[in-house]
Amino acid sequence: MTDSQLGKSTSHRSAFPFELLKVQSKLALREPYALLGGLALPVALLALFGFIGKANPGNVGDSGLTVIDLWTPTLLVISLLIISVSLPNTLVRDREIGWLRRVSTTPLHPSRLLAAQLIIDLVLAAAAVVIIIGGGALVFGASLHMQILPFGLSLVLTIAEMFALGMVLVALVPTQAVAQPVTGVITFALMFGSGLWVNPAQVGDPLRTIMYYSPSGAAAKAVVDSAFNGGPSYAGLLTMAVYTVIFGFIAIRYFRWE
Amino acid sequence: MSAAPAVTVEHLVKKYGRLVAVDDVSFSIHEGEIFGIIGPNGAGKTTTVECISGLRTPDSGSISVYGLSPRKDRNKIREFVGVQLQEAALPPRLKVGEAVRLFASFYSNPLDPDELLESLGIKQFDHSSFKSRSGGQKQRLSIALALVGNPKLAILDELTTGLDPEARREIWGLIERMRDRGVTVILVTHFMDEAERLCDRLALIDHGTVVALDTPEAIAAKAGGSRVRFVPSQPVDEQTLRAIPGVKEIERKEKYVTVTGTGDLSGTLINALAAVGVRVSDVEARTGNLEDAFIKLTRDDVSRDEKEVQT
Repeated sequence: MTDSQLGKSTSHRSAFPFELLKVQSKLALREPYALLGGLALPVALLALFGFIGKANPGNVGDSGLTVIDLWTPTLLVISLLIISVSLPNTLVRDREIGWLRRVSTTPLHPSRLLAAQLIIDLVLAAAAVVIIIGGGALVFGASLHMQILPFGLSLVLTIAEMFALGMVLVALVPTQAVAQPVTGVITFALMFGSGLWVNPAQVGDPLRTIMYYSPSGAAAKAVVDSAFNGGPSYAGLLTMAVYTVIFGFIAIRYFRWE
Repeated sequence: MSAAPAVTVEHLVKKYGRLVAVDDVSFSIHEGEIFGIIGPNGAGKTTTVECISGLRTPDSGSISVYGLSPRKDRNKIREFVGVQLQEAALPPRLKVGEAVRLFASFYSNPLDPDELLESLGIKQFDHSSFKSRSGGQKQRLSIALALVGNPKLAILDELTTGLDPEARREIWGLIERMRDRGVTVILVTHFMDEAERLCDRLALIDHGTVVALDTPEAIAAKAGGSRVRFVPSQPVDEQTLRAIPGVKEIERKEKYVTVTGTGDLSGTLINALAAVGVRVSDVEARTGNLEDAFIKLTRDDVSRDEKEVQT
């Protein structure tokens, strides 16, 4: 639609930078960090746990839940956190090579570039939620007895908290070379916190408490609780809200365009 | 000259910590001229143009760009000032055409991206990614991005660094065509041939101060002596040239031979060479040489610094 506006003299800039969103989307497809990490990996894990669940039907312990029931919320959180920590892959690079600075010499404020990237990752996050819940339920028969409102609130807070954390990385990590190992370590820690390797319900204190109040642990617990246990605890939601505010503050305070 | 200058810089000072990068620089640029800023590395050239484009805030002094302040009226200025930065890459997988169309979408009255790509000779790379292009093609794209907004003022920093001679000459031609269209150009360079060829006027900056401000010819004349550049019909050896009265220095660049010396250099040269059967073409004679002037003016500065250290 914007192509037609690029005629010689009659064109006028649109209020929203659609062309930028279009170009950033194309780049996101050509450099599919978030796409592969945030969608392909959780889908692969979903299939893995789905088949384990099919091979071992019935309850896990006395929970009344199947393997796929138990894993779906964790997969959701992992998918969202991978999409979030992929933010530095493009944005730190764009700053390091001088692209953000280059854009800042044009009438477009580079914050629009950031916004476009966040919109794309939000769309990815929404797709991940749909795929994992839909795929889990339709393909593997996961039974999520969720109440829409608490479940939605938990997911929204998870996305807000994780994206804010991603932007902290963008703000603090100076170069691409540093971004790789740093995001690697953070991703591992977040995955651990979310209960990918050890279920917090099965470990003792203080590790359990630490996991429950870690950024990804709080998210996973809120999503699990709103799926199976009637609703998330206020403490869990508050934890995520506090993380979101802190991460948001750090990201804004330390963000650099060049 | 026409009414108000396009750009006025008055008593510009910019410090980075204790380092004074720009120390009381003043000049004005007329509308429609190519204004060169030359000087050694670290002289403060880039900092000066970054202050003009609003990328940096001066510590003191004032800058006016078409009557506007680069900082206070930054949004207005960005609309009609095109900038080519010294070191700015594009996302590696962004395509050449995409980049130009994207930048065009940022401006309210852009040039036609296809025509621009065509005139820069990179239309055939429309669908090639940035990372796959050569240095010269990347540089042309960088220029395209600076021009696509249809600017009144183009700021070009290190325009032809890293380019081969052919690409440099093509880009020079492009800049001249821009000026012919009425665009005011600020050209930062450390190539003297580029400055001589393109610039209507020059500011020679060294250690953050303006050492000379004039036309290239006038600055060159300060170094004294005359200079003849020509293309010989066949190779001429060093001894033959040295034997010609008045010849002091000989320099060869591309197909050109440049001789510096005193007296009626061109007349003497042509006659002497004709006597040994060498015809000359593309003769260009000048009094003084910008490179000489550059070295002389910046070296004076070095010796002054040394004196300061000694005392």
